Parts: sequence; structure tokens; C-alpha cells
Amino acid sequence: MRLVALSRLVRLSLARERRGAFFSIFGVAMGVGALVFFLGLGLGVGRVIRERIFPTDAKLVDVVPPSVSLGSFLGGGKLDAVMVERLGALPDVEKVYRKMSVRAPAASRYDGDFFGRRLRMGVDVLAVGVEPGLVEGDVEPGSFVDPAPGEPIPGIVSTRLLEIYNSTFAPARKLPRLGPGMIVGFTFPVDFNRSYVAAPVAGPVIQSHVQVVGASERGLLAGVTIPLETAIRLNRELGQDTETYSGVTLVATSPAAVPALVAAVKDMGLEIDDQERRLAENVGAAVALTTSALALLSILICVLAAVNIAHALSASVRARAREIGVMQAVGASRADVRNIVLAEAAVVGVLGGLAGTVAALLLALAVDRLATGYLPQFPFKPESFFSFPWAVVVGGVALGLLAALAGAWFPSHRAAATDPARTLAG
Amino acid sequence: MIRARELVKQYRDGDGTEVRVLDGLSLDVEDGEFVAVVGPSGSGKSTLLHVLGGLDVHYQGEVEVAGVKLSGLKDKALARFRNQHVGFVFQSFHLIPNLSAVENVLMPSHFGPLTADVRKRAEALLDRVGLLSKKDRTPVRLSGGERQRVAIARALFTGPRVLLCDEPTGNLDAATGAGVISLFQELHREGLTLLAVTHEERMSAVAKRVLRLKEGRLVEESRPALAGGVS
Repeated sequence: MRLVALSRLVRLSLARERRGAFFSIFGVAMGVGALVFFLGLGLGVGRVIRERIFPTDAKLVDVVPPSVSLGSFLGGGKLDAVMVERLGALPDVEKVYRKMSVRAPAASRYDGDFFGRRLRMGVDVLAVGVEPGLVEGDVEPGSFVDPAPGEPIPGIVSTRLLEIYNSTFAPARKLPRLGPGMIVGFTFPVDFNRSYVAAPVAGPVIQSHVQVVGASERGLLAGVTIPLETAIRLNRELGQDTETYSGVTLVATSPAAVPALVAAVKDMGLEIDDQERRLAENVGAAVALTTSALALLSILICVLAAVNIAHALSASVRARAREIGVMQAVGASRADVRNIVLAEAAVVGVLGGLAGTVAALLLALAVDRLATGYLPQFPFKPESFFSFPWAVVVGGVALGLLAALAGAWFPSHRAAATDPARTLAG
Repeated sequence: MIRARELVKQYRDGDGTEVRVLDGLSLDVEDGEFVAVVGPSGSGKSTLLHVLGGLDVHYQGEVEVAGVKLSGLKDKALARFRNQHVGFVFQSFHLIPNLSAVENVLMPSHFGPLTADVRKRAEALLDRVGLLSKKDRTPVRLSGGERQRVAIARALFTGPRVLLCDEPTGNLDAATGAGVISLFQELHREGLTLLAVTHEERMSAVAKRVLRLKEGRLVEESRPALAGGVS
């Protein structure tokens, strides 16, 4: 049977069974729409968690010294230059970035103009030094290096800190919201070995300024990230340890190499700082679980739609038995009859799938608009709560088709089994 | 043209009693012959027609129509046979209600190889049966006789060599029935082979040969005086 003929017969049949077809399409659209909507929501929220709240690079491994270590006695667990060299020699390690905290408290007392507003505040500051290569994508080349005497220390703030500032601190204090580009060049005083809450270490107070040179996901969340050489110099001036590092970031050759790398690092008596990764995984798993439950519910609606299609088509096949007999008399084979019924269902399924998918996309758009207009600003509030990769959109339509074909399976075989001699008798 | 040998069809009714609808029936119909099949209700006339037309495959015996041996044919080949070699005309017309006259005539084109000028062909056939002016009417807007003419046009669409008619005038009044019979005579004169199951005496009167069936057997064969004549 030719496709043109099939499409013509299907069109005629659907035109006659308009009401039944409408309800079948509606049922499929409900199921597919719900599924696409919830999947889009789950994927969107998951994306925000992955990319903005807990941004993790799958190739990075953060190594820290063990919290309890016999390393000093047994020659392991100490993160010094020798250990860094050993880490760099591990298989599948592409790069090694050292980190060193400034091992004394620091405080900032600011009293002056803050982007057009007067700001007066004092706060304790944590500072960690990192190798410039770790943040080279987020700063101007050559701007993140140990400064000459008297020059301000280049500092990087965390993009997440900026987000928290913008969504909570700034509105509460009526301060301007700041973009990553706006804060470049902002300078604030920092006194090392001074604190509002902690006891200073033995040594001088070093008065300096930090000038922001960029914002980075790899920046310290609750503090300021400075060049490693600066941190070493400050620790030296403060009489603190400059031989051991507070952490090392390893870049693996590929995400697949990370598990073996982690095992090798642990074998060396070191620990992995994967707190954020685990948190991201846990929250991601909770979102995935919720999404799966809602998706399951949506699939149940699709199953009900398939049952509805089966019911409607069975009734239609019964009512059209004589018509099917006529088709057989003029040359339709059983396969032709089966294909006609399946094609009718396919049209219903595709139309339902398309309608449901479009409805889900429009509903998501409406929810995003409402969220933008009516939800208060909160940290990491996304521009969109949804993510619709093409696979979800195409999958939605495909699911509609699949549900309809599943529903039409038995009615189509029943139609194909019509005995023309019996239906045309009399 | 039509050759049937030792046809047997039986089934069990609700009481479990075995019923033989066709009981060893054999017949031959020549090319271009007009044969009427008569007999009381339940004698197996319609069943014979369905078997010869490839609509009923549950029988024993051998059937050959228009050079095609039907026994053992697969469904697809049987469907092709019905599309290409035979045309059916039923007592109840069996037109599809939501299709226009011309669309009903076009129905066989959906299942056959014809692709070019099918609409023109359908309209020519409707013209032939005198219904071109009503080609866009649905069956409900046609009289009984007109519906049967549309059904005849549909049966002729693929140019079959055999027309199988099951009580074609059974639902028509005398005058309308006469018109349909006249049409069959025309088709017969043009060389079409006709096998018509009928109770209508006028139909059997114009047939070349009349076969009488009783309890699934051929019990009598006659040649009416009017055979081949005009009613």
C-alpha cells in the first residue's frame, strides 16, 4: 500500500472520528506534556546545582594533607615540595597547582566609597594563595602575580560569593549589585595578623591592600584568593611555615582517569577534598530522584493514554467492521488493514506528543516569567528553571508515538483479523 | 475462467452440529459467460461467491479464477487477486458512508498498482453508470439504485475480468432493479464474466446459464430462453 493512499485513508478516518481522536490526542498530550515539563524542570534545577551552586570540574582532584597523620614519623602525608613532585609524576596527571593559606588571621576595615554608596564595615578575611595557572581563564594575563613592594596584592573573589552578595547582602544593605567585570580594580585594605575574632600569631601586623583582578569559580568561597608567591612571602614575613602546602589541585588527563588518580593519592597517605563534589552529588541525586518520581507519574499518564487509545480504537474497529470488509474486498490485505489502524494511532500519537511538548515548553516559559516577576531574589536564582535538550523534546514526541502505537497494537491486529465474508454477508 | 472442484465448507453451529454449507460442489464458468446462481436461503450461494472471490479461505477443494489458483494463496497474493481480477457487487451496496461517490469508486486504487489518472478513470466509470453529475454526493444523498451503480463502478475500477454479484437487485424496487440488470447485460456484452447470486427471476432470465444450488450441492443447470437477450 502506498504512503499517499495510506495517508488519505487515515485522514478520512480521523476526520470522521474527530471527537474520539481529539480525546486520544488530549490524553497523549497530557502524559507527554507532564513528562517533558518535569524532565525539563529536573534538568534545569540540576544544571543550576552543577554549574552555579557547586561548580565542579570533573577533571580536577583537590588534594589536602590528612587531618590525622603519622606522616611526620613514617615519611608520608606531608604536602611539601617532594610530595608535590611525586603527585605530578602520577599517571594521568596533566597539571599540578599548589595552594597555600596565609597562616595568620587577616581583617579588613573599609570606610569609604563603595560603587557610589558610602560603606563602613570591618570583617575578618581568609586568604589563600594559588598558582596563577589555576585561574588564568578568569583574569587578565599578567595581572595575577606577586606585586612589587608598596603595590596592592591582586585578589580574586569567588563568583559564588558575588552571587550571595548580590542576592542577599546587597538588597539588605541597599548596596549596588555587582557584576564580575564591575569589581575589577576595586581595592580594599587588609591587615594580615589582625583579627576581630581570632588571636594573632606571633609576628608583625602587615598592612596592605588587595585589588580585585577578577572573579572565578575556583576562587575561595569565603575569602580572597591571592597569588601563591604572595602567600609564601606573607607567611615568611609572619614567621609561619612556608615549606608545606595547604592543598594541591591535580588536573587529570580525562574525567575517566579521576577514580584511579584518587586511589593513588590516597595510597600516598593524603586525602581528597571532595566535600563540594559529594554535596553536589547528594543534592543532584535528590533532584534526580524527585524528577524520576514525577517522570514515572507522567509515564503512567501516558500508559493511561495508551489504554484510552486502545479502547477508542477497539470501539472504532468494531464499528467499522463492514468498512474494513469492503476494503478487503477491493484489495486490502491484512497487513494493509493493520497498517491503517496503526497509522491512525501514529498520527494521534505524534499530534499528542507535539501538542504536549509545545504545551510543556510554553508552561515552562510562563513559570520562568512568573518566577522572574514575582519570586524574590535569592542566591543562584537562575534566569530559567528549565533545561530542554533536544533529546527531551524529540523524546517527548517519540513517547507520544510509542504510547499510541502500543495502544493500537491489539485493535490493529483485531482489525486485520476481520473476516470479510462474514461482515459483508447479507 | 472460473473452475471449482469438490468445494467443501463446513462449520459447527452453536449446538455443535456440523453444517456443510458447500458439499463437494464443482463448477466451470467460461470466459465472458453470464451465470446466475439460484437456490433457497442457506443453500450456499453467497458462500460459493465468497470462496470464488477469495474472501473466504476456509474451505477444501480447488478454485481457479482468471488463471489464478486460489487454494493456498497467501493473504497478500489473495488481496492482489481481489484487487486485480474480480469485482464484487453486494446486495447492501457496502459503500463507505462518509466518502463521496467518486471517492468510493476510487477505493480500490488505494490498494492496487494504479496511480495515474485514477480520478479521471473513476469519473469515467461514474459517467458510464450515469452518475457523473452526482459524483460528489455521499451515499446518503443517493437513491438505492444510484448507490448500487456506484458500487458497480467501484467493482469495475481496476478492470477485472470477473464480476461477482451477491443479490445485486435484492434491495431495489422493480424498476430500479431492471436498470441494474440492464447494466449487467451491457457489461456481459462487452465480454465481462458475470456470476450473480440472485432470487430475482428477471436476472436469472437474462443469464446465459442458471445453476441451482441446494444444501451446498449443484442440483440443476439450465439455459433460459432469454439468455443473452434484452429484458
